[in-house]
Amino acid sequence: MSTEAGTGVKRREFLKILGATGATTAAVGCSSEQVGKLIPYVAHPDNTVPGVSQYYATTCRECATACGVLAEVRDGRPIKLDGNPAHAMSRGAICSTGLSAVQGLYNPDRYRSPMVREGNTLKPTTWDKALALLAQKLGEVKSRGQAGNVVFLNQHEAGTFPGFLDQWLAANGMPAHLSVDPLAPVATIAANQQAYGAAWPGLDFGAAKLVVSFGADFLDGWGHPVPQQLDWADARAKIEGAPRLVYIGARRSLTGLNADQWIPAKPGSEMALCAALTGKGTAAAAAEASGVPAGTIEALAAAITAAGSGTMALCGVTGADAVACGTMVADINKQQGAVGVTIKPAAGHGGYAGLSSFADVAAAMQKMAAGTVPLAFVRGANPAHTTPAAAGNFAQAFGKVAFKVAFSAMPDETAELCDLILPDHHWLESWGDAVGMSGQLGLQQPTLDPVFDTRATGDVLIQVAKMDQALAAKYPAADYRSWYIGKFPGGASGFTAALTKPSVAGAPLAARTAATPVPGAAPAAGTGEFFVHVFPSPTLGDGRGANKPWLQELPDPVSKIAWQSWVEIHPSTAKKLGVTEGTHLTIETAGGKVTAPAYIYLGVRPDTVAIALGQGHTAYGRFAKGVGVNAYALLAGGWDTAGGLKGKVTVAAESSPLVTTEGSARQHGRGIGQAVTLAALMGQEAEEGHGHHAIPGLPSQDFQSGLKSPIAADAQGEFADPQGKDKGMYDPAHSSKMEKRRWAMTIDLARCTGCSACVTACYSENNIPTVGAPYQGRALSPSQWDERPGANIIKGREMAWIRLERYFEGANDAETTFSADFDTRFVPMMCQHCGNAPCEPVCPVYATYHSPDGLNVQVYNRCVGTRYCSNNCPYKVRYFNWFGYGEPARRQYAWPEPMHWMLNPDVTVRGKGVMEKCTFCVQRIREAEHRARSEGQEMAADAFTTACAQACPSRAIVFGDAADENWTVAKLAYDRRAYHVFEELNTYTAVVYLKKVNHPAPASPAKG
Amino acid sequence: MATTAAHPERVGIRGPNIASADVQLPAVRDYEQVDRDIIATLGFTKKWFLGLGIAVLAMLCGLSAWLYQIYWGLGQAGYEPPVMWGNYIITFVFWVGIGHAGTLISAILYLFRAGFRTSIYRAAEAMTVFAVMTAGLFPIIHIGRPWKFFWLLPYPNWRLLFPNFKSPLVWDVFAISTYLTISTTFLFIGLIPDIAVLRDKETNPTRKRILSILSLGWRNSDREWRHFAKAYLFLAAFSTPLVLSVHSVVSFDFAMAQTPGWHASIFPPYFVAGAIFSGFAMVWTIAIPMRKWFKLEHYITLNHLDATAKVVLFTSMVVGCAYLIEFFIAWYSGVRAEQEFFWNRVFGQWWWAAWIMLLCNMALPMSLWSQKLRRNPAWLFVLSLFINLGMWFERFVIVVPSLSHEFEPWQWGGYTPSWIDMAFLVGSFGWFFMWFLLFVKQLPVMAIAELKEIVAPRRLHGHDGGHH
Amino acid sequence: MQGVLGAFHHIDATVAAIKDAKARRLGDLTVYTPTINHELDDAIDAPVSVVRRFTLVGGLLGVSFGYWVAIWSSNYWPLVTGGKAIASWIPYTIIGFEMMVLVGALSTVAGMFINSRIPRLTTTTGYDARFSAGHFGVFIACDAGKAEQAEAILRQHGAVEVRREG
Repeated sequence: MSTEAGTGVKRREFLKILGATGATTAAVGCSSEQVGKLIPYVAHPDNTVPGVSQYYATTCRECATACGVLAEVRDGRPIKLDGNPAHAMSRGAICSTGLSAVQGLYNPDRYRSPMVREGNTLKPTTWDKALALLAQKLGEVKSRGQAGNVVFLNQHEAGTFPGFLDQWLAANGMPAHLSVDPLAPVATIAANQQAYGAAWPGLDFGAAKLVVSFGADFLDGWGHPVPQQLDWADARAKIEGAPRLVYIGARRSLTGLNADQWIPAKPGSEMALCAALTGKGTAAAAAEASGVPAGTIEALAAAITAAGSGTMALCGVTGADAVACGTMVADINKQQGAVGVTIKPAAGHGGYAGLSSFADVAAAMQKMAAGTVPLAFVRGANPAHTTPAAAGNFAQAFGKVAFKVAFSAMPDETAELCDLILPDHHWLESWGDAVGMSGQLGLQQPTLDPVFDTRATGDVLIQVAKMDQALAAKYPAADYRSWYIGKFPGGASGFTAALTKPSVAGAPLAARTAATPVPGAAPAAGTGEFFVHVFPSPTLGDGRGANKPWLQELPDPVSKIAWQSWVEIHPSTAKKLGVTEGTHLTIETAGGKVTAPAYIYLGVRPDTVAIALGQGHTAYGRFAKGVGVNAYALLAGGWDTAGGLKGKVTVAAESSPLVTTEGSARQHGRGIGQAVTLAALMGQEAEEGHGHHAIPGLPSQDFQSGLKSPIAADAQGEFADPQGKDKGMYDPAHSSKMEKRRWAMTIDLARCTGCSACVTACYSENNIPTVGAPYQGRALSPSQWDERPGANIIKGREMAWIRLERYFEGANDAETTFSADFDTRFVPMMCQHCGNAPCEPVCPVYATYHSPDGLNVQVYNRCVGTRYCSNNCPYKVRYFNWFGYGEPARRQYAWPEPMHWMLNPDVTVRGKGVMEKCTFCVQRIREAEHRARSEGQEMAADAFTTACAQACPSRAIVFGDAADENWTVAKLAYDRRAYHVFEELNTYTAVVYLKKVNHPAPASPAKG
Repeated sequence: MATTAAHPERVGIRGPNIASADVQLPAVRDYEQVDRDIIATLGFTKKWFLGLGIAVLAMLCGLSAWLYQIYWGLGQAGYEPPVMWGNYIITFVFWVGIGHAGTLISAILYLFRAGFRTSIYRAAEAMTVFAVMTAGLFPIIHIGRPWKFFWLLPYPNWRLLFPNFKSPLVWDVFAISTYLTISTTFLFIGLIPDIAVLRDKETNPTRKRILSILSLGWRNSDREWRHFAKAYLFLAAFSTPLVLSVHSVVSFDFAMAQTPGWHASIFPPYFVAGAIFSGFAMVWTIAIPMRKWFKLEHYITLNHLDATAKVVLFTSMVVGCAYLIEFFIAWYSGVRAEQEFFWNRVFGQWWWAAWIMLLCNMALPMSLWSQKLRRNPAWLFVLSLFINLGMWFERFVIVVPSLSHEFEPWQWGGYTPSWIDMAFLVGSFGWFFMWFLLFVKQLPVMAIAELKEIVAPRRLHGHDGGHH
Repeated sequence: MQGVLGAFHHIDATVAAIKDAKARRLGDLTVYTPTINHELDDAIDAPVSVVRRFTLVGGLLGVSFGYWVAIWSSNYWPLVTGGKAIASWIPYTIIGFEMMVLVGALSTVAGMFINSRIPRLTTTTGYDARFSAGHFGVFIACDAGKAEQAEAILRQHGAVEVRREG
């Protein structure tokens, strides 16, 4: 070689080149996917280990409940919220709305910096400029002596900030702010105040024997969803002596579907019923008014008397005389001596303190419309969306205000009208607190550095104050946090100590005292042959959830419709009007009119149509804008007078497919959701034969309690044979110890209320893409794309690994007659991890196989996408990636920047063209195993659980190792209510369902 | 191939009016005429170029659809879970079925000594090869990650990761690839002596060289013929069970699943019969225009068509019988899921597809009971188009309604193919006819050597001998 | 190689010539015919082709390979699917069968090629283009000495043309 001669290449250089080329080929050649960079920390932050989660305790601010939550933070970013097990209200559970908070935090449409209006558009600006502008405007207003006319609309919150805000406003000579919450059940609050002297007494379902709900949807979001649901499910789990539920209302809501009896009283006839029940009126009169048989009413009265102090009568009625009705309902409790037993004014919830009524907002609107308001602030509240046209045109009135400032984080309808945007932090980014049950204060701490260039409103207010010599002295604190700590009982040390507690007693400022809000005067009922029932969506509320794809994609628990508005109409009425599913119906009330496709529903009175609030945004980001219709347009008065509407219904010529995840609402006797009557369970009557769950004609498969599939013995084929030689991982002596385990799950249908929190939890834990956004559709022709919201879901392509099936039993001839007596079965359905999985042998490439610990494993990067597994799955729980939902370059990308920050690093984002399904949260299983091994000990029983089980506010789902009798699941699997779905197919599932328990109708005349 | 030595007493007699196992070619006088007539079919024409152009265009439309689909993902097709299989699998089974007639005619009828195969088997065999080539594309088009299709093959790799031999899809891979290899070999072996004929007639030196290579230096010597005959016999003997196995294996894709409507033990025979049925229909679709345009009426005589028509009539009845048995078993089993599914298939959601199938495959072929229609090429051609349609819908009825109406009512759904699906359907016909058109103008569409077997050889004295 | 080639118009003439030539042991015969014909077969009366042995061996090799690869690879990565045995021989019968057909058929073709000495580069020696069309041919491999006699026989039986080769 001539290298020594100095011609050619020197050896060292040669090696360099070799190394370089080697590296490049390695980098380039390794995969078709993008090659990412991994940069280790230079200076390691304290107490963070890359790849290991930290949990920050904070307080959920998505609704007035203020549950304690734990934010799972990975490498400085919250990726998931869980209930705080130590917190009195959430007890480790969490609802869909709470889980979706991270999508508000990482929402791509959030304001990314302060904005200022130039002409018709809002342009980004700097904080200095923005604050200077605000200070200048404030100065002008004050110098002109108009400070008294300033309006501040704040989202309702009960805690320290409202007080702080009012102090600031007062210091500037401005009136106190208006605390706006269109969802707050104002009438109920007012009635409670009158009747119990507490805005929101505690409800003790555990002590209840009979719950009578007058439209109080305590499982749909009325009041405090999570604690109510936890208590309700626990109480119902007592099978014998469990509280019975009678639901009175024109529409059978989710709460109604969970009731043992539905009494479909005419809207507005509740008072008459109360009168009859409290002895102030006759059953006959009540029957006359409500259309309910007198016998039923008498039976109900008898049942109430029987329940005595165990009675819990709740009133959620809105509209005409709602307050009076509420007080009458309270009388029922009082008569039975239930106050203090089931209704606990002492243990009330402070969340509604300081709430403003719509009347206050209306007054402010009039001032604005008159043009006397020089300056208006809005923070979080979105009256431009929630103010019914009949109650005044908010946008117009707001437009008359000289200068409008928004502290809102999202570009909602109201913020878009403003001249200056000073975006607030998301609550996961900020300090604060919120009042919860019995005056307890939940503290709130940042879980990450702000995602965008935003500032906490508290800080902004202090900074602005500092700019004004007159005020500067009043605000020595550097920012809201230090101000807060300064005010906190016990100061800094007290605060630090308090942070570690789920909730604390003392508060920095006395709760803001404001007169109890009173609902607006009952509007004219209007005319028309139909009652129009407008209700808040259990998933989207009044529309504040509409910008979160998880909540849009989550099917409504009752109608199972997503990404759409719909009108509920009874089959018999539909037949009369010649309406089929999806036919457009126009509802016209005194307030206005909306048009939406029809959903034919058993659970609504034939003379009533129902429509949910929440959709119909004209702004509020890409996920909300242009989806559905805004039902607030129907209201004749303010948002607190939704009830008692009447209207006309006209059938439109056109129709559009429903964005529903429901195939058939009937289970055709296939025994997917099974039930047993209480009597049968108590052995007082014979249980129905298995005919109702076995497919007729097959040899009957009598259920042997527990998992028919032992420790994967059958699932291991010949490896179960002790003589077998090489057992690989399946060997009991194998280091993985997997062979000793059998992961399994029990789902108690007697507890499940169908709330669907498990579904959202699964989306959050397993990086499941949402596919319904209007931009995610497919090409209908080379030139035209399907841009209907939910286009992919119309094609049945939703990806929910766990879905909540809702089957109806009974009322089979609903087309001809109206029957209130039908049963609902909610069945959470996910991969059953069959011992003899039909999906496994058909896969040509071993992309799915059976792990020794009983899991049905799906290997994404081996899958070629033949989809044979899905064809052969009787449960239909496998989901295919039809598009590159995880590819930022694709229009179907499900996590537009920065939403991908919430992805769980422990779970692969599946590529285009592969199959996916429930994994029993295998990442959690392996993490727990590794932890146990690294700590050198056996895994403790119930050491961890899956995301769905963890979130479930009914505690219906239990996960664990069925091979180890110390785990709860191993005991539950032997419950006498246990059964497998499609047992007759010999799939030997690892999921055991416990039959729903059907209680007798409390107020059935026959039984008395 | 000493199958159908001429029956001397028949020589010169105009063919009988009834098709028999050994169909005569009365209008063919001697060996030279055979050469002349067949070689006359080669050589290009305007019509042919036009046809080829159309075929290529259709193929390109399918090709571009494929590129589009690979870029965006399968979501562009009409899939509607739980209907996870759709147009691609339907069309795959359709083409595999077409592919069966060729080998049936060339192999099974050869073993059965059915003389009427002689003049149609070459065209049918070519059709088989191209149909299987078409079918083979669809499983790849259909999978989610087509660039990984080779993972289904048992190729040695460094992790020694092999496919799952328990999966019917892997059986498919083996069955289809074997079938393609063997039918191609069979076609080529049969062609060798005929290429030798072309070679000896060819004047253009380059073409002559190419043909010499293709003919492998065949010299018509007694030794060559002896081994050739034996090899051909054994190839036929292998192809016969292969034909039956291939579509049985394809039917396993469905029968091995527990999906209602798929999980049926009748599927293998039912599929094989259906395949032969559709294959013969496609033979008509191709052969009837061909005999006209290539002026081969005296080779593919009405007697030939008559004989094939009887096969079609028979298989139509077998298929029809299978349909009825399916319905009967669904009722007789008492399995509710099965019963509700079949009701939905025939009278519910999918009634229209089911009745198209029943009309085209069960009702219309019954017209073949009439000898007039059996011997009416125009009618047979029209009928063949209906049968092709009906057989495509048979596969539609098997794949889609079953998946749309399974055990889990919550997941019942529907299916509508998208424009992409249609592009692939058109493209598949383009691809198929492109190959066939290229074939018919390059190589003899009839087995010259075998035709010569039927024609009586010249004799010095009279007609004695030659028959044992 | 040396020899005499005769081309015939008529089948019976060809048969007669073959019989005669064989009777006189003039040398190895090669008969050319455009297609298979019983009379010629009987006249030549050659032993049965050995191709069938190739077929048998190939088929057996194929079926055993099919089973082997399926069973061995299943055991190499023992993954349980659907609770079925790791190596389930019943479904593997399909693999075995397909491999039997594939290998068996291909070895049959190989047997034919080997035995009938094709592919060959040249066809010239003792061949005439007519033999693919309408004529029959008889080639008698013999040295110059016997050539005269051979030609005579062929002519006598009505060969339309007789030619010395090589």
